[in-house]
Amino acid sequence: MKDIIQVKNISFNYADQPLLFDNLSLNVHEGEWLALIGQNGSGKSTLARLIDGLNVLKQGQIIVDGLLVNDENILDIRNKIGMVFQNPEDQFVGATVEDDVAFGLENRQVDREQMHHIVERSLKNVNMWDFRDRIPANLSGGQKQRVAIAGIVALSPQIIILDEATSMLDPRGRQDILNLVREIKAKNHLTVISITHDIDEAAGADRVVVINHGKKIDEDVPDKIFANTEQLEQIGLDAPYTSQLIAALKGKGVNLNQQYLDSERLIAWIKQLVSNK
Amino acid sequence: MDKAISFEQVTHTYQANTPYAQNALADVSLVIPNNSFTAIIGHTGSGKSTLVQHINALLKPTKGSVQVLGKVITSATTNKNLKAFRQHVGMVFQFPEKQLFEETVIKDIMFGPKNYGVSDADAQQAAKSAMKLVGLDESLAEKSPFDLSGGQMRRVAIAGVLAMKPEILILDEPTAGLDPRGHKEIMDLAQQLHDKDQMTIILVTHQMDDVVNYASQVVVMDEGKIVKTGTAAEIFADPGWVYKMQLNLPSSAEFAQKLVDSGVPIGKLPLTIDQLATKISQLVAEGADTDE
Repeated sequence: MKDIIQVKNISFNYADQPLLFDNLSLNVHEGEWLALIGQNGSGKSTLARLIDGLNVLKQGQIIVDGLLVNDENILDIRNKIGMVFQNPEDQFVGATVEDDVAFGLENRQVDREQMHHIVERSLKNVNMWDFRDRIPANLSGGQKQRVAIAGIVALSPQIIILDEATSMLDPRGRQDILNLVREIKAKNHLTVISITHDIDEAAGADRVVVINHGKKIDEDVPDKIFANTEQLEQIGLDAPYTSQLIAALKGKGVNLNQQYLDSERLIAWIKQLVSNK
Repeated sequence: MDKAISFEQVTHTYQANTPYAQNALADVSLVIPNNSFTAIIGHTGSGKSTLVQHINALLKPTKGSVQVLGKVITSATTNKNLKAFRQHVGMVFQFPEKQLFEETVIKDIMFGPKNYGVSDADAQQAAKSAMKLVGLDESLAEKSPFDLSGGQMRRVAIAGVLAMKPEILILDEPTAGLDPRGHKEIMDLAQQLHDKDQMTIILVTHQMDDVVNYASQVVVMDEGKIVKTGTAAEIFADPGWVYKMQLNLPSSAEFAQKLVDSGVPIGKLPLTIDQLATKISQLVAEGADTDE
């Protein structure tokens, strides 16, 4: 499988601050959903900014789809990447929803006629076409994130980076947005990197990278990462709900020889246990 | 128990007397007892924020009256008289760290009391005890608030509210965007302010596990109306209704519901992980039959 992003031995620090990354390396496979997890301040968002060329590396290199992240390639690289941030309010520029989605296309001097088609298609993609004349500020949090995603889809990137994109939403809005991104990912063959401290969001990823104090401390499929509940707790993240339940059951004398199962498998196990007696 | 706050048939209309007039609160009556921990839940746009903004007089009722700590606000209350309300009602908005602006942590926390005419020395004293209350080390006092971590910045913002020594504290989604550790710290702080410092806490939240773990009273809003008031157990007893309100169940109730759906006879939905584990272990011991 091709690595669409290669992070090679990078070091970085903000001015007057200690090294945030010291010789960090990791790869993102083309077409995968990669979750980057770690607590606030662990360096997750900085990594996204380095990939998008918003901050400059001290050492090492980052290669996005064959292009080295540097001044010369930066515009091409940004065309390949769409970023959705935590607070959608920080990313609105247009007076209406439609204008806002058109903004990125105008910037790229897309022909007017074609632009209308793309905006319509993108807004329909996220189920926000009916809201095209509304003022972005008057939308709900989930609706705002949909518009932000439409703005990104309009530019047809290869990679979408979700930087805590669902953390301001209620649980339902969160699920809606994740389902939407999953749909768009499948339809457009995208690579998704989701930066999150929500374990349940990470559970839906193909692969999880755990970052702590700027270091990659683990990298594996969700099942393996979540089985290590001690590690999760050590770095200030919650164990997934199912792991917490398995631990609570153990406390009541009901033992499962595993620390993690996804909901479906845990339900099947409990059901069997209850009916076998 | 004394009441800290009461709403009597309060209606609030945004842009009243214009074609855009919209009722954000419709005939709301509510009592919040002194030293209670009240959670206000409801989907986005249900009127939660409009409701709490009446408690610290950021909004006045269009109709009806609001009573806070013995003082009454109606549509006729002059704006000049509203300041007195706010001194006793601390409001922590969403992402309060966005409102930090001073050069140092201590100056930022002192800003509120000074704004109410407290002397420099007294404001500093109040700021120091507020820092202690929220668990910020004294060594941070002279640092720039912008050099702190997200969780610490949020605590500085909360300390700024607490330095005014409010009797009522309103927290509007205080943990949004924080990681699990930061989340727990802020919620434990709210509980401590309630238990040890006898404050009346009002929590606006989307997190149903917090409602179960912290609140003594729950208010559910929908379309500008209060549709149910009760304990967490009463509110979550009817999952169908909860979903209809576009809300979620607490994690354990949600998981239990999935077990019920797959034929495990859980009975009444448990609200906490401990209750659920107890129920499952009983079923295993009894050897219950699953109904297919």
